[in-house]
Amino acid sequence: MEREALVEVLEGNDYNIISSADNFKDALAIYMQEKDIDLVIIDVFLGEHPEGILFAETINQLEKPKKPFLFLTSSIDKELFERAKATMPFNYMVKPFNELELLFSISSAMEQFYGQKEAVTSGDKDTIITQDHLYIQKGSSLKKVLLSQIIFIEVEGRYCNIITEKGKFVILISLTKILELLDTSIFSRVNRNTVVNIQKIEEIFMDDRLILLSENYKVTLSDKYKDLLKKALVLK
Amino acid sequence: MLFYRNLLILFILLQNNVYSQSKIVLSPFFKEVKTHTDEFKSKSFKKIQSYFLKKEWDSTLIYSLKELSLPQNDSKIIDYCHFFRGYSFKQKKLFEDSKNEFQLVSKEFFFYERIDMYLGEMLLGEKSYKKAIKYFQKFQKTQTYKGKTIKRTSVLENIGTCYLHLKQYETSKKYIEESLKILEQKKDTLGLIKSYGNIAGLYYDQYQDDIAIPLYQKAYDLSPYVSDFNTKSESAQNMYVVEKNRKNYKKALRYFEEHKKWKDSVQSEAKRIATIKREKEYLVQQKQRELNDLQAENKVQEAERKFLLYSAGFLILLLLAGSYFYSDKLKTNRVISAQNKRLDELNETKNKLFSIVSHDLRSSVNTLKLSNKKLLKNVTANDTLSTQKLLKENSTIVNSAYQLLDNLLNWALLQTKQSYFEVKEIQLFRAIEHIAYNYKPLLIEKGLNFENNIAISVKIQADQESLKIIFRNLLDNAIKFSNKRGDIKFYTKELDENYVTIILEDTGIGMDETTRLKLQNSTTLIVNERSHKNIIGSGLGLQLCKSMIQKNKGKFSIESQLGKGTKMIVSLPKATY
Repeated sequence: MEREALVEVLEGNDYNIISSADNFKDALAIYMQEKDIDLVIIDVFLGEHPEGILFAETINQLEKPKKPFLFLTSSIDKELFERAKATMPFNYMVKPFNELELLFSISSAMEQFYGQKEAVTSGDKDTIITQDHLYIQKGSSLKKVLLSQIIFIEVEGRYCNIITEKGKFVILISLTKILELLDTSIFSRVNRNTVVNIQKIEEIFMDDRLILLSENYKVTLSDKYKDLLKKALVLK
Repeated sequence: MLFYRNLLILFILLQNNVYSQSKIVLSPFFKEVKTHTDEFKSKSFKKIQSYFLKKEWDSTLIYSLKELSLPQNDSKIIDYCHFFRGYSFKQKKLFEDSKNEFQLVSKEFFFYERIDMYLGEMLLGEKSYKKAIKYFQKFQKTQTYKGKTIKRTSVLENIGTCYLHLKQYETSKKYIEESLKILEQKKDTLGLIKSYGNIAGLYYDQYQDDIAIPLYQKAYDLSPYVSDFNTKSESAQNMYVVEKNRKNYKKALRYFEEHKKWKDSVQSEAKRIATIKREKEYLVQQKQRELNDLQAENKVQEAERKFLLYSAGFLILLLLAGSYFYSDKLKTNRVISAQNKRLDELNETKNKLFSIVSHDLRSSVNTLKLSNKKLLKNVTANDTLSTQKLLKENSTIVNSAYQLLDNLLNWALLQTKQSYFEVKEIQLFRAIEHIAYNYKPLLIEKGLNFENNIAISVKIQADQESLKIIFRNLLDNAIKFSNKRGDIKFYTKELDENYVTIILEDTGIGMDETTRLKLQNSTTLIVNERSHKNIIGSGLGLQLCKSMIQKNKGKFSIESQLGKGTKMIVSLPKATY
């Protein structure tokens, strides 16, 4: 019943549940197979035994890139807690917890895992930027955006508009911060307020100082950032 | 008559010894022996020496034989042993053995020359007069050793005696007169008397009364000049015998009386000496006994002293141990009584807890039971509206029962100190939001206006779970004691640079001062008088809050006005950046 409630809450907040397991073996198999895991939620008691901790201990030993995980438990037994803590979980939740707490814990675990403290939980910022994704806090939950889907980013005051092939997001982050975290070989500044994904450049009209991006987006290229051309040409 | 005369002869032979034995003081010869034998260190020889000097001949013989049987280096000791043995045998009249022993003595021996004298004496005793004379004369001629402890007169007398026995009266008379002359020259009255007596006896024995009697007379005449009673008595006795034989009874009687008188004197003297000796001995014994008594007494006193000392020590030890154990016991008792008190309190708390919780839970469950029956009825009657209403009510009841159970569990964990406690940095706004989320339906139902006015930047140091327990309970209370459409607000104040003061304010029914103080300050569980019948509450929640706040190093106080509202004020440590 608890699992159902958990699934309901997560799906209700647009989180996609890849799979779930009720024992150590299955859990490990899923963990090894699936490639698109963003976060693992582990109940300390998988079945009758604290196999959840064993699972955490095991995945910590794997060579596979680590994913953030958080513990759920109804026990606040000292000994168990110490053992669980030794696996360095990114959060620890004691039952009963409500929807809000769960969602917050997920956000908190994510920002901690990527070393961007308070990137989404402080209230004045809302994005975690990783190698391949942006995790954007929308309401209580995080939205994942593939960096490769971004066409360009446009700054408007304190906000940034992220324009992707699937739609438009507004995130609370400064352009400098974004440039700090993004791969500069893919993302390049074209004018004071715009960063483009070089891979999305369709055509550059030098005379008009115009760049034609996919989906027919057009941005201007200022003299200051003309060097981009070389990069773009090389890429093309 | 003849028997008597024989006695006299023997008397001559043994006089020296009798004389010696009567004195306790050592004779010149023995003194000399002592001085010459003191030089020997051998213990066994010392023993022989002492027996010899004490004239215990048998012991002397036994120990000297033993000494001789041992491997000996010192020829002097061997000589002394033979000499002592010879002398002892002689004294025991075992003349043959004596001679044999004396023959074993080496010529270098200090007392060697004496042996001739002893041999002569023994031969005289055996009536071998001619041989005896040879030895005596040999002794007389070779008398070169320094100790003149054998009187020349004795030798002369002995030679005279021998000749007398050989009936060579002229020669005998020559020796005896020479002896007497020496004695007269020396004015040895005692010796003279003895010699006169002896010689007279010899003559008398040979029936030469003409010579004997004047000699007896001479001896008797000289006797008043000496003090020795024995001599006086003897000379008188001799005169008595002479006169009796001459049938001159009157004179004889007179002599006998005199003899008797002197003899008595001797005896009385002896008695007196004996008495004195006895007295002395008695005194010595007495003294010894006293000494023994004193010693015994001393011992007893010593023992008593020791006993006192030991018992005093023992008592002190006992006292110390006693006082130690007593103080220890007192301490233990104090600890025990404190523990008892605490236990009583805890026990009381537990009992109250049980009664309240069981009562509350039972009523909750009972309500649910009744409600479920109604629900069943409503479902069969398809009365959706009533069912919805009932379910809502049930949900409220379950929520509050759950809260109670949760508190109960946390209380138990707190008491047993089993729960995990981890202080970390917490965003207060979020924490309050999360807590309030559960109460949203309740707030809406009561039409209460809830505001979380805490700034997002406020961070505190606390254990997340206990923080939840604290504010869940406080919020629960605030909702319970609020009237419909009241306000509930969370906000913070910075009154201290190290603490965040969190205030939960409601516009509820409030409380009077007594209740406020009781709630604020009590350390044990307090049971509310059920002033509000419809509200489930045990005081457990608030008590738990206080314990948790304390555990988080926080402070707690209440401000309230009856009928107007309450402020629950919690101060928790600020997070350090």
